[in-house]
Amino acid sequence: MPEHVSGRLAGDVDLPTTATETRAQESSSVFWLLVIGGLMMLVGGWLLPWFVEPTANGIGASPMDVVASPPRGVGSLLVYLMGLSMLGLLAGAAYDAVSLRLRRGQPHRWARQRAVLAAVGMVCTVTVWYLIAKRREEPLFGELSPLALTDNAVWLTLTGFALCCLAYGFRRPIAARSGLTLAAVALVVGALVPLIFRQSIEFISWAAGAAAIYTLLALGLNVVVGFAGLLDLGYAAFFAIGAYTCGSLASSRHGDVLHIPFWPYPFWIILFLGAAVAALFGALLGAPTLRLRGDYLAIVTLGFGEIIPDAANNNAFGQTGGPNGITGIHHPSLFGHDFGIDPRPYYYALLVLIALIIVVLRNLERSRIGRAWVAVREDEVAASATGINTVSTKLLAFAIGAAVSGFAGAFYGAELGIVSPDDFQFAVSVTALSTVVLGGIGSITGAAVGGLLISFIIFWILPHAQEWSMTFGNTTGFTALSSVDYSKYVYVAYGVILVSIMLLRPAGLIPSRARKVELQAGGESEPLAAVRGRA
Amino acid sequence: MEGQGEVRAVLPPLARRRSLLRGGGLAELGSRAFPTVLIGALVLMIIDVAARSGVSVAGSQLVNGITKGAIFALIAVGYTMVYGIIELINFAHGDVFTLSAVYGKEIGRGLSWIGMSLWGVSLGSLATRGPLGLAAVLLVLFPLTMAATGITGVLIERVAYRRLRDAPRLAPLITAVGVSFILEGSMLVTQGSSNVRTDKEGWIRGTAFTAGGVDVHWADIFVVGMALLMMFALQAFIRSTRLGKAMRATAQDRDAALLSGVNINRTIAATFFIGSALAAAGGLIYSIFFDSVVWNLGFGFGIIAFTAAVLGGIGNIVGAGLGGFLIGLIYVFGGQITSGQWSNSIVFAMLIVVLTFRPVGLLGMRVPDRA
Repeated sequence: MPEHVSGRLAGDVDLPTTATETRAQESSSVFWLLVIGGLMMLVGGWLLPWFVEPTANGIGASPMDVVASPPRGVGSLLVYLMGLSMLGLLAGAAYDAVSLRLRRGQPHRWARQRAVLAAVGMVCTVTVWYLIAKRREEPLFGELSPLALTDNAVWLTLTGFALCCLAYGFRRPIAARSGLTLAAVALVVGALVPLIFRQSIEFISWAAGAAAIYTLLALGLNVVVGFAGLLDLGYAAFFAIGAYTCGSLASSRHGDVLHIPFWPYPFWIILFLGAAVAALFGALLGAPTLRLRGDYLAIVTLGFGEIIPDAANNNAFGQTGGPNGITGIHHPSLFGHDFGIDPRPYYYALLVLIALIIVVLRNLERSRIGRAWVAVREDEVAASATGINTVSTKLLAFAIGAAVSGFAGAFYGAELGIVSPDDFQFAVSVTALSTVVLGGIGSITGAAVGGLLISFIIFWILPHAQEWSMTFGNTTGFTALSSVDYSKYVYVAYGVILVSIMLLRPAGLIPSRARKVELQAGGESEPLAAVRGRA
Repeated sequence: MEGQGEVRAVLPPLARRRSLLRGGGLAELGSRAFPTVLIGALVLMIIDVAARSGVSVAGSQLVNGITKGAIFALIAVGYTMVYGIIELINFAHGDVFTLSAVYGKEIGRGLSWIGMSLWGVSLGSLATRGPLGLAAVLLVLFPLTMAATGITGVLIERVAYRRLRDAPRLAPLITAVGVSFILEGSMLVTQGSSNVRTDKEGWIRGTAFTAGGVDVHWADIFVVGMALLMMFALQAFIRSTRLGKAMRATAQDRDAALLSGVNINRTIAATFFIGSALAAAGGLIYSIFFDSVVWNLGFGFGIIAFTAAVLGGIGNIVGAGLGGFLIGLIYVFGGQITSGQWSNSIVFAMLIVVLTFRPVGLLGMRVPDRA
């Protein structure tokens, strides 16, 4: 029997009674996020060389090359100090695990010494990072393969270890200011990504393309599904509207109406136009349909999500270019610097945009509107009785969600230079929904993490699984592995994610505080918990 | 004074909502005018096609629309039954339909293999030999495929929906989308991304009769006849058997049914079995008619059939049948008028219009809560 059912029947589950307790739970999820993320980067860095052909420019040397080099020079000393602190931290973690399991000893003792150890590890890691990035002289590290000095794998490992140190050594301060820490770490690591993966431009274009776009979509859909509780199965339609609006304004299709001679293309104005048009369509669709009950609304949005690509495909009003879409969309430029086809400027622009949108959404969530959304989501009749205009509240959620996807659409077209109806099929809506469900319905952090995870699995691992398994199959002799077509498994992957999350962990990986309590205790106490948690 | 101000601040929005959306507003207008407008529009479309392309084209499209509508109706019945009993839009239902066509193909292959090894006769050659052979084949193939699909439907309910029966409303809907994708994905993996033949070519051939220059094929009669037969059998089943009574009771009030001794889990499982089996009948009919199936066929068909269910009045089995035929006609004639490009969009727009102006559908039994 699932948790929430038994909880509702029994009626005496452990509710987090105070705001501090719920906050402590959330902060522990931030701790685990940092640790797991760090470990994944660390292990990923060690595994990377096995997956990549060693001939590619610089990729393929392993972190082992740095560690195993003969001790000579300052750099090596730092590397060994790093290794020592790593061993110390591991020993500490092992001690904690054992003493917790055997209920003997004092888990988490020597807190101050651990913090110092972690701080030493982190400082060494960051220094080595810097040295490798900036000063690549041999004496620093002894005899070392020149490849190792500039390698993605090494940098990834170092960043991962620094994150682990941060989380391990500063557990308490992180728990106290979980949101701030997470935001700071995300921003710093996010800003470093183009540096870490400097040699793998493909990865940066994934980050600026799929990852950033789907994170944006997840954030926007989370407003509709998570905050206001309206299931939108046609979210790709608003993404399409944003992309087509900006695309047609930024391509020469309309005789360059917005192009002023000797003046760069006003992408940054078009961006907001696209978002506004998407929001307008959100309100237009929402106005007649928002009085329907949740699952009817889902089907209506699904229908709308099919009509829009259909209209684009049929060259509606002669403006969409039919199946070929809109081509020749101008790339944006900033301060005279043309973005061109280099993914890095897009990446930074999207990083800033995502950060801004997260700030806005957090504030909205805690504002009067955010509380109105919670009220409407939980009990619409009660909400309307307390004077909330339910229709305009829901419309606003729809419009804001659509506007965020409009931003995503604008960048999508600007990056690729083309938008076509095939990019906005139902699969896009389901991908966005999976990100929200996986991350945790109603949780902003969850949406962002879910967007990253899903886009990593679907748009990075699955397309590359082919070549990895070919390499692996050829080296190990399992030739059957060489011929598996992994791209076919995308749909199964979405389905498994949606079903298993809803069955096993319905609040998602990073639950929102209120939603977690609701799923534990049944619907009634949720608004109360939400108020408590935000008090 | 302050108190009065608050009252005034609260009152206007409530009053406005009442007049616009509840009684006397659009919905009330829709309830009287909607069927008239719908039928009128359909007749106008038929006349338009007849005037532009000739009466015989309109006639053959009429046959075409009724045939398509019969298949939509069979799928719509499954949607409406499940919605009636557990208020869940079984999103995976359209893919169960596709799956059944694949089952039909594989079971047919298995039967062919048995037939070849025992008597040296394949299923296809037996079916194309004559009416008796065909009847024998169908009498074996239909029950087997319907049972296999029905069991799949029951399994889906058991794994993905039962645990979430009392969960927040979004949860089972999201798993339903997930199940739909698992089914589509597994068909993509096993059957490939292009059209697959179902080995049923030429089972039912020839023209039955010609009326006013319109050929009516035996296949058309078969499709419509089978669909009507299935739906009448279902109606009789629900009206007169114990299990049917249990279903009606569960649909009306689950707790009260439980108190009077109805085994809810078994009843719901039976609902899924029957709904899926009817979709399987639709799938087999489809594959006999078109002899080809593609992995994502059920997605579009599913939404269209759901539109049919909503149009007829969700929860109402007769309504689903009626809605299926109407949507079939609208789909075909809408497609004809817009030269095939907009037929899906017209149906989806139809869905939005129905849900906006007449959420209870044509024969609506169950009034969907206005949120």
